[in-house]
Amino acid sequence: MLKNWLLIGILAVSTYFSRLAGLEFMANRKTGPMLALYFTYVPVAIIAALLVKQIFVPVHGELTISFPILIGCLFAGLSMHFLKRFLPSIIIGMVLGLAARYLLLS
Amino acid sequence: MTRDERIRTIRTAFTEATPLVLAVATYGLSYGVLATQAGFNRAETVGMSLFVFSGTIQMVAVAMIMTGASIASIFVTSILLNLRNLLYGAALSSGLGTNRKLRWLLAPGISDEPFVLATAYFKKNGPSPLYYSVLTLMFYSAWVISSLIGALAGNQINPQTWGLDLTFPVTFIALLVPSLKGRPALATALAAVGIAFGIELLFPGNDFTIIITGAVAPFVGLFLARRKAHA
Repeated sequence: MLKNWLLIGILAVSTYFSRLAGLEFMANRKTGPMLALYFTYVPVAIIAALLVKQIFVPVHGELTISFPILIGCLFAGLSMHFLKRFLPSIIIGMVLGLAARYLLLS
Repeated sequence: MTRDERIRTIRTAFTEATPLVLAVATYGLSYGVLATQAGFNRAETVGMSLFVFSGTIQMVAVAMIMTGASIASIFVTSILLNLRNLLYGAALSSGLGTNRKLRWLLAPGISDEPFVLATAYFKKNGPSPLYYSVLTLMFYSAWVISSLIGALAGNQINPQTWGLDLTFPVTFIALLVPSLKGRPALATALAAVGIAFGIELLFPGNDFTIIITGAVAPFVGLFLARRKAHA
């Protein structure tokens, strides 16, 4: 329990100061275009890495693929690309991922 | 600013933010359920929303806790994820006025959705701390309340049965796809998949995959963007 509050405290302070730093300090400085461009790609890289970690799960020291998550992601991604609507895409991905889980288990 | 102008600003903020606030609340609900499933009690789940107030950081932290990550690795990952706040803050600073105390008070509101709404508003109407205050208040209350509802429902829901364990990856892909515009962004994502998969293949379930990938893969996008600019 203390560990969780410690984590919350650390994340609260670091997140607040990252927001404040941008407002108070970076506004008075000229950000190089290279650095600005680098920052725009950081979220893309991190989200992609998170997806890999959730699709490929280590079991007994070996990587195994989670097909329900893969199928859910595939259809949510396609839906987001074509429909361009956030909530319906999440629902489609979850429903099809869940259907895949039941079909694979049965 | 006259009373009528203030009312108009508040009404505009409310109208423009409502659809996004509803989407954020859905996300908050998922966070509340999953944080409970990850071992957080209700106070901790809502406390994180009250004090951190960052969907990405909170979801990533909970996801990493589920994979057994240490506090240190979560902290380092959060620093990488927070890097974009520096740019958001720099871009929003002129729109939040000259009152330093007010800027400090509004700083927690700096995140993806308010940034998108506020930059568009400031470009059209000039600086407006009032507009940003309304946005911050709306997103903050929606996030905290939806986290609480999710936390209250959490213990009664088996995530596997309801497919809630799919929420993380499905939400992440829905957030990722719109940002894959242009070859540099697409190449960054592909490089990130390759790097993350390679690291996981060599060291399954290690703590540093996200940190290393988040720091290295953007250089691929940077390289391609520069090459395109010089072509």
